[in-house]
Amino acid sequence: MPAASRGEGAGTQALEAARARAAVYGLLARVFAGAPAPELLAGVRQPQMREALAAAGIELGEDFFAGDAEQLARRLAVEYARLFIGPGAQVALYESFFVRGEGEERPQLWGEAAVAVAAFCREVGLETAPGRVPDHVSHELEVMAVLSQAEAESLAASAGDEARRWRRLQVRFCQEHLGRWLPDFSRAVARATGGFYRGMALLAEEQVRADCEARC
Amino acid sequence: MGNISRRDFLKLGAASAAVLALESQFRPIAYAAEQLLEGGRSVNRTSGLPRSFLPSTCMQCPAGCGIIGYVEESRLVKIGGNSKHISNLGTLCARGQAGINAIYDPQRLLEPLKRVGPRGSGSWEPVSWDDALDEVASTLGTLKSGGDPREFVFLTGNPDADYLGRRFTHAFGSPNFIGSTSDFDANKRVADRLTWGAAGDMPDVAHSKYILVLGANPLETGPNYVGFAQRMIQGIRDNQAKLVVFDVRLTNTSAMSNEMYYVNPGTIGLVTLAMANVIMQEGLYRDEFIRRWTNVTPEELAGHLAQYTPERAAAEAGVDAAVIRTIATEFATTRPATTVTDASLSNFAAGVQNERAAMLLSIITGNIDTRGGLCLPRSYDLAPVNPEPPQPPPSVLSNPPALPLAYEQAAAGTFEQIRNREQKVSALMTHNVDPAYSNPDLARVEEVLADETLIPYHVAVTPFMTETARFADIILPETTYLEDSDIIVRSSPELVPFVALRQPVVPPLEKSRPFFDIASSLAGAVKGGMEQYFAFGSVSDYLEARVAGIGGLQRVGGLDYLRQHGVWYDPKSQPDYGAFRAGGFRTPSGKLEVRSALMAEAGQPALPSYETSASLSRLGDRDMAMCIFDTALHSDWKTGNCMWLDEIEHHNPVWINPRTAESLGIEDGDTIKLTRPNIAGDAKERSITATAYLTEGIHPRVVAMANGVGHTAMGNIAQAEKIPYKEPPEVLRDPNTELVWWGEEDGSGVNPKRIVPVKLDPVGGGEAWGEMVVTVAKV
Repeated sequence: MPAASRGEGAGTQALEAARARAAVYGLLARVFAGAPAPELLAGVRQPQMREALAAAGIELGEDFFAGDAEQLARRLAVEYARLFIGPGAQVALYESFFVRGEGEERPQLWGEAAVAVAAFCREVGLETAPGRVPDHVSHELEVMAVLSQAEAESLAASAGDEARRWRRLQVRFCQEHLGRWLPDFSRAVARATGGFYRGMALLAEEQVRADCEARC
Repeated sequence: MGNISRRDFLKLGAASAAVLALESQFRPIAYAAEQLLEGGRSVNRTSGLPRSFLPSTCMQCPAGCGIIGYVEESRLVKIGGNSKHISNLGTLCARGQAGINAIYDPQRLLEPLKRVGPRGSGSWEPVSWDDALDEVASTLGTLKSGGDPREFVFLTGNPDADYLGRRFTHAFGSPNFIGSTSDFDANKRVADRLTWGAAGDMPDVAHSKYILVLGANPLETGPNYVGFAQRMIQGIRDNQAKLVVFDVRLTNTSAMSNEMYYVNPGTIGLVTLAMANVIMQEGLYRDEFIRRWTNVTPEELAGHLAQYTPERAAAEAGVDAAVIRTIATEFATTRPATTVTDASLSNFAAGVQNERAAMLLSIITGNIDTRGGLCLPRSYDLAPVNPEPPQPPPSVLSNPPALPLAYEQAAAGTFEQIRNREQKVSALMTHNVDPAYSNPDLARVEEVLADETLIPYHVAVTPFMTETARFADIILPETTYLEDSDIIVRSSPELVPFVALRQPVVPPLEKSRPFFDIASSLAGAVKGGMEQYFAFGSVSDYLEARVAGIGGLQRVGGLDYLRQHGVWYDPKSQPDYGAFRAGGFRTPSGKLEVRSALMAEAGQPALPSYETSASLSRLGDRDMAMCIFDTALHSDWKTGNCMWLDEIEHHNPVWINPRTAESLGIEDGDTIKLTRPNIAGDAKERSITATAYLTEGIHPRVVAMANGVGHTAMGNIAQAEKIPYKEPPEVLRDPNTELVWWGEEDGSGVNPKRIVPVKLDPVGGGEAWGEMVVTVAKV
């Protein structure tokens, strides 16, 4: 993404980008949070989204766009359970499983990475719902969505310094967390399945990589 | 952006925003946090981070020890013992500490799941709580309003600790609240009730001078495990008590004993009666105590016991008659003395008789409820929580006609009853229980669970994908005990009653919900009158109601006190030894009922008796009696996927005596096959293969296997499935499994329950796996 330059045009561009980022992360957070809600699937199946995904090179497969919506929701719910719940081997949804902390003999649920995410959230003034595991992929994606949304709001209010702070936090969060594991997660999903979850995982990977590399 | 152009990215953003606008459930993460009640504060000495700690109660086994959960950054980092707890005095066993493995089990179920495809096929669909509860409530509601509520069956693991489950079942209108017998000793409880009017006992081992252990292993397992073991060590060390053990296996307790005697399988009851006989014949009994406090005379008893001569016992049990005489004399003349009994005495068809025989030793020597003797359990009776649902009339499942004295506890036979259609079942709810792991004859349990004509609807309330949950139609992900609340009353080895609290040390993980919430939601949705029994404003209201009647606790702050300390007992309270002298025993006669009218009504000898086991007395050359034992590292099914425990104990080789092994051509480490003889009504051969472990620590006619391993579900760790770590991107794994080093070396064990036939004590209803005979052969 081109670095933001001074001027009103650049400001508008940055605002558009922040809003887009908030929406994409928000969508991805929903996708990996649980079995897909019918509204979510209906939305992704709309022509506007289909076209945008195609333009971005993300394939969800013909099956996804054709056929009965209810059946699709059911099929993807079962797929979600198979991929992420089990029984049997499944793709872990938590950063702690992919990144072993220094003091950790072995990766574990709610490990050091989760503590670090919680600390990050506290630092920037976000509160994590009780019981919610902070390093769940969906929670981390949602953190990015909230930070992007905050950036967009600052930009809209012409609070440039504030906006840059939010943007820096996004990049930092990506570098410290999502960037360290989401590509692995995404490839694991891509290996285990095709279609919707594969496409969404790859989209997340692309987005995270871009934000890790962003200069601000 | 890397591969996506800016234009395309903005397009994607706009489209995503449109999707989110459609999704009504979008909820930002920032919102008002629900504060946990404050416990103490401390600081982690290595990280310097503030650490909070909350007292609660362990549920990894039925002992219910007091624990402290240490929480850092919302994460439970350690579980330790609560030093204020009168039972465990600050200590905690490996299982309790490994609770962390349970709460943070990577394979924990964190959202409701609905079965897809045939039952047991392993395909699930996540559903919302609303949908899941609607579905369950609608099925149960139809049964309650339009059908027969008695066709609802609630299976629980620990009936004493599942007040809410019983309340739910009774409020629904069903008597079928059935407790699993795997955790609890059904036969012993019946023997105790018959004899002194209370279920259970509490040997005051800390103050004994002579501890006679009959088929028990209290230093390694037992209903009050670490609390009791500490008192026992106190008795042995501080009080120089003599410890004598009779068993078929060299247990950790026998390793600490002064004397240990192997007995032939199933004959401890006979040895016990022979010792009682010696005490009577030698005039070492307490004449006045027997006349005043039992419903028999010494003369009657001596006459009855005369048949059990030490010589007869020696011939049948394989213990010298001289030894029996000596131990009997020592027991009667060393005061105070007590017996400690458990599974290797009570898990027989004559389990109730055996336990009553053991009590007889303490009765005739006047060691009942004395300091250092065999004491009655002491616990608070909690007041009813009003309104209390009326108890529905009994059914063939809650009170099997064939087992007149078993109530709510004959779970081992329940599946056979359902198979035989003795009780029509329309809906089954399983809670904190895993019959497809714990019950005898697993293949038959699985058949019943899989058969939709026998069990048309099965709701599993569980944090884990257990062997039983696999056969559910819908799974409601309950929290673990570390995120849940309830009131616990148990009897303490200190003989002072206490009341304890289980409270969440961390909030419920992800979408899991405490059982209180699940039961309340369902009761509210099923309606038909049951909602009134769950109309608590909050869980605190429920907890308050349960402890309302305990005046001493109320004076120091009631529930708030428990929230802060985890446990309350009257600090001035001392063991009230011999309280029966004031009011008698809670039996019909007010005395110790050595002669039991109820036993006679059940077609059994009224006086403690022994009958030679038909199966164990006719062992063929290749036949062996089978002993299944518990260890300190697993609690039946429950701890199956706990990494720390599995790492220490993950397999259960078959203990076999070297002499026996030689005659069968078996060497250490050989693969051997254990086959049970065909039983009536089951034409299939049932066998298991396992590894032979040659040891002198086992009776030559017995093979033994540990319980607690050999899972076919519960998770990868439980099944020792090492999913090798490969460099990313190949991370299709639970990373913990990478550390499963024992899979190839030792395997994950074998569940011996697979070949245990369903055999019950005909009065107690408890399992009689001790009667099991297997043929052993090298593969």
